Amino acid sequence: MPTLDKDMADYAVAEAIRAGADYAEARLQWNMEQNASTKNGEFEPPGYEETFGIGVRVMHRGAMGFGATNILTRDSVKELATNLAKKVISAGPGFRNKIRMSDEDTHIAKWGAAEKRKLEDVELSTLVTTLKEIDSDMVSRHSPDVLKFRLFGLGLSLEEKYFTNSNGSKIESRVPRVGIMGVLTAADSGSVVQRFIQSAGTGGWEVFETAKMKERMRDEADTVVKIAGKAEKFTGGSMDVIVGPEVTGIMTHESVGHPQEADRILGREGAQAGESYLTSSDIGMQVGSPLATVIDDPTIPGTDGYYLYDDEGVPARKRILIKEGRINEFLQNRETADVFGVKSNSAARAAYYNVEPIIRMSNTYVEPGDHSLDEMIKEVKDGVLIKNFMEWNIDDKRYNSRFVGHEAYRIQGGEIKGLVRNPVLELTTPKLWGSVAAKTKDLIFDAATCGKGDPSQGIPVGHGGPYMLLKGVSLSGR
Amino acid sequence: MVEPAELVSWVAAAADRLGADSYDAVAVRLHEGQARFSNNSLTIINELKTENVAVYLTKGKKRILGVVSSTNKDVVDSLVGRLYASMNSGASEAEFAPLPKGPFSYTIRVPHDRDHDQFDHASYAQRAIDAAVSAGASRVAGSLISQHYRLFLRTSSGVEGSDERTSYSLNIRAFTDRDASGHGIAVSTKGKALDVEGAGRLAGERAAACRSPKQVEPGVYTVLFGRTVFANLVEAVGYSASAYSVESGLSFLPPKPGEQVASQNFSLVDHGQVEGGADSRSFDDEGVPTTSTTLVMGGVLQSLLHNSTTAVRFGTKTTGNAGLIQPHPWNLEVSAGDSTIEEMIRETKHGIYVTNNWYTRFQSYKTGEYSTLPRDYAFLIENGQLSHPVAGFRISDSIPRQLKSIRLIGKDRSWIKWWEVHTPTLAPDVLVDGVTVTRAVS
Repeated sequence: MPTLDKDMADYAVAEAIRAGADYAEARLQWNMEQNASTKNGEFEPPGYEETFGIGVRVMHRGAMGFGATNILTRDSVKELATNLAKKVISAGPGFRNKIRMSDEDTHIAKWGAAEKRKLEDVELSTLVTTLKEIDSDMVSRHSPDVLKFRLFGLGLSLEEKYFTNSNGSKIESRVPRVGIMGVLTAADSGSVVQRFIQSAGTGGWEVFETAKMKERMRDEADTVVKIAGKAEKFTGGSMDVIVGPEVTGIMTHESVGHPQEADRILGREGAQAGESYLTSSDIGMQVGSPLATVIDDPTIPGTDGYYLYDDEGVPARKRILIKEGRINEFLQNRETADVFGVKSNSAARAAYYNVEPIIRMSNTYVEPGDHSLDEMIKEVKDGVLIKNFMEWNIDDKRYNSRFVGHEAYRIQGGEIKGLVRNPVLELTTPKLWGSVAAKTKDLIFDAATCGKGDPSQGIPVGHGGPYMLLKGVSLSGR
Repeated sequence: MVEPAELVSWVAAAADRLGADSYDAVAVRLHEGQARFSNNSLTIINELKTENVAVYLTKGKKRILGVVSSTNKDVVDSLVGRLYASMNSGASEAEFAPLPKGPFSYTIRVPHDRDHDQFDHASYAQRAIDAAVSAGASRVAGSLISQHYRLFLRTSSGVEGSDERTSYSLNIRAFTDRDASGHGIAVSTKGKALDVEGAGRLAGERAAACRSPKQVEPGVYTVLFGRTVFANLVEAVGYSASAYSVESGLSFLPPKPGEQVASQNFSLVDHGQVEGGADSRSFDDEGVPTTSTTLVMGGVLQSLLHNSTTAVRFGTKTTGNAGLIQPHPWNLEVSAGDSTIEEMIRETKHGIYVTNNWYTRFQSYKTGEYSTLPRDYAFLIENGQLSHPVAGFRISDSIPRQLKSIRLIGKDRSWIKWWEVHTPTLAPDVLVDGVTVTRAVS
């Protein structure tokens, strides 16, 4: 692991200011990713990657530029900072809408995710042995004639950063992560079922145990085989639906978190990830039932979207996006906060040294309720339990969403019945959140990689919540 | 700065010193520039200068892949040492092919743009914005990005080569109201040839033409896929053609050539190098000269895409598409048909014309069942005529079914590469029957 040369980052900021910038920030960032993978029981070549460089962002009279290099000599960094400042000054007339940063306190801090077993001490052989155990267990339980394809990747990642800006903030951080992904494909009697699985968390190697990754993979294999063999065709209709925490989570991410990103609302992502069904004046608008309270919180230890300061040096805090069915606040960085006349709520994140910080979610979830799952099921006379999903998407204003069930069961007379194949929920955002009629006490997170930005940045996020009962919604079959 | 060839020589010396059986090192020096804009105003200027070297080592039945992001010799030595040690603690593999023996000779058929580093992204972006506004747009957003890279490869099997490429792409979206927008794309390997005004004008005209769109009734339609949408689906075909995808259950294509997978009028080729192909390369990551590989001819699957190792497993030869683990397409070309867009509209009794889409997701890559969301200019077609603009619907279908239901293919084509299409694809408009369209319940 390289030493983060803090003087180099401070130097970049000083040189950008010297070249005429009225604001500058620099982020030294080192990312290490190590992984092992298997395909149908055979090992693929493992991977080890380090990216290390400096990203510099400068402003001049409302114009903004970002530059990056991994050539970490003083000459190279000076060239980057000064040339960038000159380019931004020169491009100034094209910035018709002048950019300003919200005033924020300066901070000097050092933080890190708690870790018991440091990832530097984990050998590749440990990843290999672990994957072999997972795959062998699966083969012992299921015939390869049914469980046709098994693809696994087990990875460790470390991220170390030093952030400094011309306002005086200086922040160091270290975030280790452990993650596993799997793709399982089962075929039985002409029926083909596929499942993508992702599980991850911040922390040391102990995360593999605490997240029960091995058990998760085994259960997923059992389920995909069961669905291929037993699930019956689902034709749809108007009924009650219970969605599991994985579905609750993707719903929060897609139809609450994304449309409440202030940069989308202002149109900055218009040609890429799109805009929002919300406008800047929609704070307070009712979009859900009183049970719909949706939160985004980066400060939950162990989650995949954990951080304590964002990549603009703003201290992280919990954001209540929807409160009892009403839009409560948007996700803001310093640029959008100035437009909205508020303070940043610490949503600026950058995936690597070579990309600008942009507004991102962290861990987005529905506030739990007071039901048990059994109580909830008993309340449903005619419905479906959709535990998790495969296909999903949403329009680029985040209004028209679709979630297609993977493990799903018919509920009749308050009892779970047989498996059904691919029930399709296709609802508008207000219809979805307006249908929430009950929630369980659970708060279960899943991990995901969220894509946004141009160049596209994949960033680790968590999302989840309880089981939710959606009353009287329309379902179809696939 | 360190010359890519020197970076590679450091890796090679370290690999030899450590006792690796074989090595493959690819160093890339990248200069990337970008102007992003929204609401008719620049939002950021980006500038990126990096040097990285990808390293592949083998010893016995073990391999490892790594990326080293440093131009410091001591750091490179140390990281190659770490890779070697890590490989030795890893697992043996059942089978992999030795690196192809060189030397090979390479031809750069598409020269790079020597003026790249002087390209003014901000002013070109402004020209695109102005063209869109002149055509009727009230708001314009987009991104203009360019890349110039120099690449040097050396393997322990006597292969050595260098390459230098440039690419430029503009993605522009114009709005006239919240639900009316149009999209334009320009792609080129030369900066001065990038038609920013044409892309901006098209986006603006389409945004102006589709104000106040209406809802679509769910059902089965003939869909006229504009070339940007079709390129998105064809890219999925290209990745399904990777032998790695077939081995992993991530392909809807059969493992052996000879099967009818599409209508007879559909043919698809992958080009390692082609005029206009923004991801052209003269050799792949194993140093094998790239070539043109016919994937589908007359609707019949002709070949998958291979590297040396997948080729051994499938009993064939590499197609020059390595990826050391996953073979992948370089630049895809769909053969032109003989229809004009007007003829295809006239041939449609009850259909929809879609010009852009996003968020394509699969229920199963093995079956090809997917859905995607049209966005921007879309029109209902009734009795051979454009009827009125439509929005707020979803296409929910299967790519294998659609490939076999292509009725007509357009004679005009464009290179497509943007946020939702990563592999440059020369695509026509196509008319497909029997497409299921759904809509969210409100």
